Amino acid sequence: MSSRRSSRSRNIQSDSSETRITDDQISDLISKLQHLIPELHRRRSDKVSASKVLRETCNYIRSLHKEVGDLSERLALLLGSGEADSDQAAIIRSLLMY
Amino acid sequence: MKTPSNSIKRRFALKFLRTLVRIRKSTHQPSPSQSSTWEIRRRAQRIKLAAYSSMARTVGSKRAWSRALTMKLRAAMGNRPWSMIKQESKKMTRRKLIAKRKRHMEKDLNSGVQELRRLVPGGQWMDPLSLMQETAHFLRCLETQVRVMRSIVAEGEGFPC
Repeated sequence: MSSRRSSRSRNIQSDSSETRITDDQISDLISKLQHLIPELHRRRSDKVSASKVLRETCNYIRSLHKEVGDLSERLALLLGSGEADSDQAAIIRSLLMY
Repeated sequence: MKTPSNSIKRRFALKFLRTLVRIRKSTHQPSPSQSSTWEIRRRAQRIKLAAYSSMARTVGSKRAWSRALTMKLRAAMGNRPWSMIKQESKKMTRRKLIAKRKRHMEKDLNSGVQELRRLVPGGQWMDPLSLMQETAHFLRCLETQVRVMRSIVAEGEGFPC
């Protein structure tokens, strides 16, 4: 536990025992997040506000969750229908892709 | 910032596919009758849980979000009593206090960060710095999960029975 705390204080400037996070560090991480989100990455402008990045991140995560749900439904249909052999062949084929 | 590599994709895919085969075997009916909507819905739910749990197990205990997700999934699947979850949250009390103080400092970003805390597993107990780092890693893993699922579905749907 103590080692974790000391490694954190290396990254964060601390005046007292309480750790303080600088605005620079947060904005730095937010700009890194910006590059991960396809919506904002397309724009390529540096003028995107931090709150917009956070909003878009939330939207993106929500859309990914929704897609997981949709894909699970489709997989449920795939697993339910058809004969065992052809299904397992398809599964093994995708396995070999990796 | 560490981002997931190809090995995570591979390891997730293997775990997930194995679980799918297991699900398929357990639901295979002797007479190939049409599955009811309820059965399909239930199977979809199992597959969804399998996807998240496969990813959580692939990442293991290395990230806070995967630890939190594992706990949440265990509760959802009924393997762990609620008291165990409460024990975990007791450990977080001091972090919660620090996080609460930090939240007062976030004025403009407040609503965005609050929402993010709800979406990222374990986000409620992270300081803003960790929250951003965990979000980035969680996002990449979630993308990987979706990509793998997409290709499995494409593979399965491309072979008409």
